[in-house]
Amino acid sequence: MSDKVFDDIVGSWDYTTLPPNVRVGQGCWFERRGSFARLKSVQDPGLIIGDRVQVFTWTTFNIEPTGRVEIGDDSILVGPVFMCAGRINVGRRVILSYNVTIADSDFHPLDPQERRLDAMANAPFGDRSLRPHVISRPVVIGDDVHVGIGAIILKGVTIGHAARIGAGAVVSRDVPAGARVEGNPARPLPPQGP
Amino acid sequence: MATLEHDWFPQPLPENVSIGQRSWLYSTFAFRHFHSRQASGVRIGNDSGVYNGSFFDLGPQGEVEIGNFCTLVGAIICSNRRIVIHDYVFIAHEVTLADDAFGRPFAAVSVEPAGTDGRAAIHPAIEIGENAWIGARAILLAGARIGAGSVVGAAAVVDFAVPPNSVVAGNPARIVASGP
Repeated sequence: MSDKVFDDIVGSWDYTTLPPNVRVGQGCWFERRGSFARLKSVQDPGLIIGDRVQVFTWTTFNIEPTGRVEIGDDSILVGPVFMCAGRINVGRRVILSYNVTIADSDFHPLDPQERRLDAMANAPFGDRSLRPHVISRPVVIGDDVHVGIGAIILKGVTIGHAARIGAGAVVSRDVPAGARVEGNPARPLPPQGP
Repeated sequence: MATLEHDWFPQPLPENVSIGQRSWLYSTFAFRHFHSRQASGVRIGNDSGVYNGSFFDLGPQGEVEIGNFCTLVGAIICSNRRIVIHDYVFIAHEVTLADDAFGRPFAAVSVEPAGTDGRAAIHPAIEIGENAWIGARAILLAGARIGAGSVVGAAAVVDFAVPPNSVVAGNPARIVASGP
């Protein structure tokens, strides 16, 4: 393997080669260049990353032209896939573990007739401008939140400060600060003692 | 230093990794986040396949034993403890084994775990019995002890003991069938 390809997957690539609408703080470490390959945002900024953020190999920023993602200081992104058409805000000192998905839109219409139009517009040589409109609702994840392995966080969800999202949880409703939720659909657990 | 003949990742095998006869490991890329300082960090038996996308994200006390005739389609193992996988185990796509729900590579763990003496625990944090089958996207956390011959359903989250020859499924997981 050539050195450059090697650099691209072990964090030693040149972060200043990211698009100009990406703001990167001090002391960050981004393992895989390909994490940013599906960043199509035309917002400025389209992606804001705070200081000392670590981004591991499994992470994917899939940001549509209308989307903007913000990651707070000292957060650890192990393997989240961000599917963003509007806004996804992640606080400080947040941990997003392996195989986490965060989506601020369904990306396709719920109505079957409209979905057929969407399928045609999305064909390899389809006309993307004919895609039906889909809504997006911001996802907001507070400071010190830990999101467990394989959890899925859906559009419009706000997760309060220091909440814990269990492994494999599917979260479609707000989670209050300090709460622990688990399961599919995610349900609150009784508070844990010290 | 040992290398893998077919490897595309320019790194030798860590010295505390052993691979048995007729076994297959897709690449030393599996050790991108490997920090085990145990005498045996990863031991793969004979006739076992560890395929593309598998990772051994082990901390200093992490130790993984994989038996004979096992198949790991692409499991991520994130641990600073001991994990034992017995013979004939099949682990499907996108399965994760981790010490806790918020698993992360050791490089991202800021504090060494309390009470560590440099040696791994004798009792495994996770144990998968002979001939068990772990379904796609299942998550096994510390405390998961899958009995011999049992099946863990797709996307189940398990952190408890499952008796032999049972089926466990769902999130939260529950035992849905028990064998003899």
